[in-house]
This record gives sequence, C-alpha cells and structure tokens, in this order.
Amino acid sequence: MVDLTLLTPELTLVGTGLVVLSIGLFLNTNAKKILSYLASLGILASLVLVLTNLGNGGMLFNETLSFDALSQFFKIVFLSVALLVSIASIKYTEGNSHTEEFYSLLIFATVGMMFVASANDLIVLFVAFELASLATYALAGFEKKNPLSLEASMKYFMIGALSAALMLFGISFIYGATGTTSIPGVAENINILLGSPIGLLSVVLMIAGLGFKIALVPFHMWAPDTYQGSPSVVSSLLAAGSKKMGFVAAFKVFMVGLIALQAEWTTAFALLAVITMTLGNIVALSQNSVKRMLAYSSVAQAGYITMSFVVMSKTALAGAILYALSHGFMKAGAFIATAAVIYMVLSEKKDSEMPDHIDNFRGLGKRMPITALCMTIFLFALAGIPLTAGYMSKFVLFASTIEAGLVWLAVIAILNSAISLFYYARVVKYMYFLSSEGEKIAEPVPYTVAMIIAAIFVLAIGFWSEPFIYWAMEAAKVLI
Amino acid sequence: MEIPILSLIVLIPFLFSVLTLLTKNKEQARAVALLSSVVVLTLTVYMYLNFDSNTAQMQFQEFAQWVPSLGINYQLGIDGISMPLVLLNAIVIPFLILFTWNDEKNHSNRFYALLLATQGAVIGVFVSLDFFLFYVFWELTLVPLFFMVSIWGGPAKHKAAIKFFIYTHVGSLVMLLGIFALYFTAWKQTGTPNMNIEHLLSQFQFISDGLSRNLIFLALLFGFLVKIPSFPFHSWLPDAYVEAPTAGSVLFVLLKIGGYGLFRVSLPLLPFTPSMDLMVTVMAALGSVSILYGAFLALAQRDLKRMVAYSSISHMGYVTLGAAGLVSLSVSGAMFQQFSHGLIMSIMFMSCGVINRATGTRIINDLGGLAGKMPKLAVIMMLAFMASLGLPGLTGFIAEFMVLTFTYINQPTYVIIAILAVIITAAYHLWAMQRTMFGVYNQKFGVLKDISASQTFSMAIIALLILYFGLNPSPVLNMMITNSEKLVSLLAVTGV
Repeated sequence: MVDLTLLTPELTLVGTGLVVLSIGLFLNTNAKKILSYLASLGILASLVLVLTNLGNGGMLFNETLSFDALSQFFKIVFLSVALLVSIASIKYTEGNSHTEEFYSLLIFATVGMMFVASANDLIVLFVAFELASLATYALAGFEKKNPLSLEASMKYFMIGALSAALMLFGISFIYGATGTTSIPGVAENINILLGSPIGLLSVVLMIAGLGFKIALVPFHMWAPDTYQGSPSVVSSLLAAGSKKMGFVAAFKVFMVGLIALQAEWTTAFALLAVITMTLGNIVALSQNSVKRMLAYSSVAQAGYITMSFVVMSKTALAGAILYALSHGFMKAGAFIATAAVIYMVLSEKKDSEMPDHIDNFRGLGKRMPITALCMTIFLFALAGIPLTAGYMSKFVLFASTIEAGLVWLAVIAILNSAISLFYYARVVKYMYFLSSEGEKIAEPVPYTVAMIIAAIFVLAIGFWSEPFIYWAMEAAKVLI
Repeated sequence: MEIPILSLIVLIPFLFSVLTLLTKNKEQARAVALLSSVVVLTLTVYMYLNFDSNTAQMQFQEFAQWVPSLGINYQLGIDGISMPLVLLNAIVIPFLILFTWNDEKNHSNRFYALLLATQGAVIGVFVSLDFFLFYVFWELTLVPLFFMVSIWGGPAKHKAAIKFFIYTHVGSLVMLLGIFALYFTAWKQTGTPNMNIEHLLSQFQFISDGLSRNLIFLALLFGFLVKIPSFPFHSWLPDAYVEAPTAGSVLFVLLKIGGYGLFRVSLPLLPFTPSMDLMVTVMAALGSVSILYGAFLALAQRDLKRMVAYSSISHMGYVTLGAAGLVSLSVSGAMFQQFSHGLIMSIMFMSCGVINRATGTRIINDLGGLAGKMPKLAVIMMLAFMASLGLPGLTGFIAEFMVLTFTYINQPTYVIIAILAVIITAAYHLWAMQRTMFGVYNQKFGVLKDISASQTFSMAIIALLILYFGLNPSPVLNMMITNSEKLVSLLAVTGV
C-alpha cells in the first residue's frame, strides 16, 4: 500500500475541483458565487498542507514522483499564484453561468503544475504538463464571445500542441537511446547520447518544446497575443504560474537528466537568455496596451531566469528559484491590478476597444488609490528597485553571474534592467502625474484583497529575505 | 542600553514621511515634517557633541543580522568622513521646511513626505557600513527625487526627471557590478560571504588579477562620478537642478553621496589599484576640467538658476581634484568643499526660487535693481555669492584654497588649469549679482515684496553658518583631517 500522505495537497485540490464542478450543475447563476469561495478555500487548504509538510520528503509510485525541497518550493509558487488568481476571480466570475468550469479548470491547471514540480519521470512530466496546458487553453478562451480571447486561446493551443509534439519527440529520442524515462535514470545511461547527433537532436527538441512554454525568443510569438487577449486573471495564471512550470520542467530535464550534455546546451541557453531579455525589454518600451507590455516584460524576465542555465552554480539556481517565486507574486499582482482597471473601464463603458490601454491608467492614483499603490509596488519590484522581491532576486541572480566570471552576461542583464525601468516608470507616471476627469471609484474588494496579499509578499521577500533565500538555496541543492 | 542614535536619524525621517502622508492638509503636513527634522537635528547635534574628532575609527556603531546566508548585515556607524555630511543634512532640512512654510504653491502632504524620505535615504547612505545597505539607500535617494521633479518641477520636468533617473540609475548599476565583483572575490578568498564595506575594501588588495582590480575600481568610480557629477557625466545635472522645485534643488545639493563614495570607497582602494597613477591622473583631469568647463558654461547662461546649476558642477570639480591630490590637507579640503558647497548652494537656490516667485522670471537680463526692493534678500544672496566665488572669511575660500594649494604638490598641471577658472568664477558671480541686484530696476515688476520672515530666518541662519565655518572651520575640519590622514597613510604604506 502506498503511503499517500505526501500527496494530500494534490488530492485535496482534485477533490475540490470535482466538487466545485459537480455542485455547479445544480446551482443557479446567482448562487454560483459560493463556488468561488469554495475553490479559494480548497486552494488555501492545499497550500497549508504543503507548508505543514515541508520537512517530509520521499518518492511515490515507483519513484516517478519525488517530493523534495525543489518540488515543494515550486508547489508553493503555483498554489500562491492560484490562490491570488482565484481570489481575484471572485469578482471576475460574478454573475457568470460558467463559474464552476472556470474554477475547476483553474484547479486542474494547478494540479498539473504541481505534478510537474514533483515529476521524476519524463512521461509523468509530460502528462502533467499537458494536464496543466489543456486546462489553460480552455481558460484563455473563457470569454467565448470576445474574439480577442478566442484568438488568444487558438494561438496558444496551436503553438502549445506543436511544442508538446516537439517535446514528446525529444523524449522519445532520449528514451530510445537510454532505455528509460526516469530522469535520474537518463542521467545514468547518458553515455550513448554523448557526442552523438541524437543527443544534440534531443537537446534541440527539448529546448524548443520547453522554450515555447517559457516563452523564450524566438518561441515567444504567442505570448503577447495570448496574454493580451485572455481574461486578465488568466493571463496572471499563465505568466506567473504556467511559465514557472516550464522552468521547473526545464530544470529537471536539463540539470538532472541531460546534465552530461551541458556543453551542448549552455551556449544555446546563453544565446537565448540574451536575445530573450533584450528583445522583451526593447519591444515592451513601445507598447500602449498594459497587458501587452506586461507580456513582453514577462518574456524579458524569463530571459533573466534563463541565465541560471548558463551560470549553473548553486547561487544562480537559488537566484532563479527565488526569482520564480518573486515573479509569481509581482506578475500575478500586476495582471490582477490591470484586471481591476479593466473591470472599472468596462463598467463605465461597455464596448471599450482596448480597456487595458495605458490612457485608462491616467490619474489612477486619485481614482483607485489602493490599486494604483499596489501596481506601483509591483512595477517597481519588476524593475528591481531595492527592498522589493524583484531586487532581492535580481541581486542574487545577477551577482551569481559575476561570481562565475561571466561579466559580459551581468553587464547585459544589468543594462536590460535599466531599460526596463523606463516602461515601468511610464505606467507609474500615468497613474500619478497625469490627471483624468474620472471620479473616484469603489475598488472591487476581491481584486483589492488579492493585490494586497501579493504586495505584502513582494515587500516581505524584499525586506525579510533570509528565510526565502534559505529556502531557495535548499531547493537549489536538489539540482546541483 | 545606549540609544541607537544612527538608526533613529535614518528611520525617523522615513517614519514621519509615512505620517505626513496621513495628514489631512498642508498645515499639518509641514508641522509633522518640521517636527521630524527638528528631532533629527537635535539627535545629530547630540551625536556631534559626543563625537571624538581625534580618532578615525567608526563611532556609534550598530549591528544586527539581516541576511546571514549572504553575509548581509544591518550595520551603521559614523566617522569624520560622514559626520559633517550628516550634520549638513540635519541642519539644512529644518530650515528648508521653514523656507517653504508659506509657499502658497500646492505643496501638499506628498511633497513633505518625499522631502523627508530623501533626507532619510541620504543620511542612510552616509551611515551604512554594509555595502548592501549602502546600495539600498543609494538607490532609494533616486525615487523621491524623481517624483519631486516630475510632480512639482518646471515646464520640462518630465524630461528632466527621466534623464536624471536613467543617468544616475545606469551609474549606480555599474557601481553595483563593481560591488558584486568585490563581494564575490572576497567571498572566494575568505570562504565566507560578507558585505561589510571595510572588510571588502581590505580584501581588495588580495585580488591577484590586476585587470579585475582596475575594473572594479573603475566601475565604482564611475558610479560616484555620475552622482557628483563630474565632467563628462554631468549633463543630467542642469536639467534636474533647474526643473526641480526650489526645495528639490536644495535636496539635490544636499545629495553629496557621490563625493562621499569617493572618500569612503575609492580612496582606500586607490593604493592597491595597479594603474594607480593613471587613475589619479584621470580623477585630477576630470576634476580640473569640471571646474573650468563648468565655469565657462555658467558664464554663458542667461537663466540665473541654470547659472547656479553650472556653477555647482564647477564647484564639485574641486571635490574630485582635491581627492586626487592625495595629501591629507587636499583631501580634507575636498571634504570641506562638500560641506561648504551644500550650505552655499542651498542659499543660492533659495534665492533663485524667491526671485522667480516674486518677478516671474529668472532671466538675468530682465532682472535688475532688486536690491532696492528686496534688501534682505540682497544681503543674504550677496553673502552666498561671495562665498561661492571664494571670498576669504567664508567657507568657500577655505575649501578651495586648501584644494588648490595642497593638490599642487602632486598635480601642479591640473591645479594651474583650475586656477584659470577662478577668474571666470569671479566674473560670472559678480556679473550676475550686478545685473540682478543692482542697476536699473525693471518697472514692469511693479511693487515687489521682500522675502517673508520665515524665508529670511532660514536663509539668514544658513548664511550665518557659512560665515561661522568660514571664520572657524575647525569644528568640522578637524575630524576631516583626522580621517584624511588615515586615508593618506594607506598610500604611504604602499610606498607612493
């Protein structure tokens, strides 16, 4: 009999998802609000379970699932993001007859991400990856009467399907050559792939497959359209959660499974990291849609995190892992703040062409003071202003490149960071320095709660960094 | 238990900054701000009275662990390099608040909150003994000043604010690279991470690779030179100083963190930098070019405030030049220049603000004969202008005299270049004074009121301090000399 205590957080979530889905069938639209609270509670319970079980590690199901500091850390990232999204969506799904579908999809996507974090086997990893992806494809197209949302979903699905195929193709090569799908097993039997074209091919296929999810340039084309078109709360999940899933999968595949082929993939990642951050930041400069700007900023941030594949030291990985957590809060917060603004714009003018246009942020400091303040915190954190989570993570990550002697990489990253300040500060300028005629607005409570929680964590990681850095270091030890 | 006085003078401004945000109107906000600054001033004076000028050691040290796994600690201390600068900030800020007391322009509670936040951040830079903390405060000074310029600035405020932000942000990021490099090499050498400034500076000499030592030194120096600012990185200054509201310009003037970094970090590293001679020459050259070029630019300005801004570049050149003099008296002259320049420029910018408010213009040619209408302003402004051009008996003279005389020992060529500027400096000061204060009164201004009582009071006190420290510089100069002797003794050890 398998001891399932380690799996309780996942089981709790699955249970909540099924309950929400089935109860939803019998409720009328007005009563469905209860489902959103139920789902949020379920996610919170799962998060508490993960936190209380931090010390326990182990393997399950013939060592296909591993529970260690790394997987637990990322589960906390996913669950925190899911919780924020779920709280914010209480308002978004209000009066929507498909509330139960929204929440169950959100929960199943989170379950998928959590299994990716625990996966110790390429097949489990792939299946979990697909579970999360399929749920998010549907979520992206949740506004089925909005052509932009449908376009977002369609693009995301097409590209996602292609990347899944590439990844599976890569896995099949690895399996064919090593005779196993277990990730540590691959590492043991890697000899046959060393120096062979099949090894190179599988590395390329895996980079391409995972690169799509992480949105590395040139595999990023879908990201801006999808993030812009999807409902903002879903963009929040995609950028803050789903993208981190790509990273944890990549960490496992490359740093554990294919570590012997390091020579083949470091240069590729170095190139990808530099192109990704530079292009992301430069294109973000000229965006007028705030969601699109956040999407490109997200691309750029993925570039920073990718640097850890180049540096490959414990500090770098700890930095990357800490960055994943910080970025989860910052980006989720920023998208939720945008969602609040969009909600406001749409409630004033139903058929607004581009509700996330930067002009709608004019005078937000007066109109929605809490939203504006939280958005400022998120943007400054994304830019890496000291005493925020973003600064602390950048500090550790960038510092590690210097430690490894890769000064050129640090210089590029730091210059990029300086560029990024420009477009973040622009939004702040619109919120506080430009005035608008609009009146003060009652800020929707769920969005506000989610934003405040995220802002508290962004500041906490920045101020009181020691425990978070310690955690990240522990998680990094699993990989190196 | 002793009072953690340094923490208090750093945290009180931040705390009150939040409090001012909560106030309902301008009257409450300015009262809260004044209270905060007076408390800080009292504490600073108390600290100053208990400060031992005869030792170069850190005093009033505080220590608490912060992020032990990265060797980052909350560590504060003060010595003869930082004490005068903390004193300068603590003295000027309350009078600055008094100066803005009846400023009818929309100085809301946010304005005072930003002002206090700047004060806290600047003092924080001066008293941090941990590089991480130092950098955090260093970056924090940017944020309130950025907002201050972009909310209450002049017509081109947005451009000025962004230019200032990007310029100095790039400078600090490059400095950060230098800090990282220093931190990690020290980590490798000692096996434990430690962000303590003194520890990192002492590890610098053990870095085996000469090129890295040069690069680290240059990266840090670059960050400081941008902030000072020195030629050729000065172009953010005129825009930012001119577009900023009067109080913002004064805050910029009090932002002496660039020069401070030069003394705190660059000079101790200098003797162990392989290309030391080259670095010293670069510093001396940039210093003297700043002096001369700044003076010429000031001479060419039509706008009074812009002229004062360029004169600031010229004066800050003395700081770089004196630091490159590498003699204890030239270095302490440079430190004294920072102190003196802070006081003088505060009055000069206040005067520009008052004139602009009264007449609606700052164009020198349009002004004239103000002395007859605004006698109190004329007296105080005259004193500041005289101090600025280096009249004996005032602080500016002592600082510039020390720098020029003692730098001559090691860098005669660059001192001669700088001396050329003295004539130009006198010229633009006297010329501007003559054309604004004296001459024919421009009748279109109608009846002008002289400066208000609170403005007179605050400007007069600072003016008296200029006179006092000009006649008796020893209260701050002694501690500067103690510390510069220590800095210079490092050079002697390495046989320079």
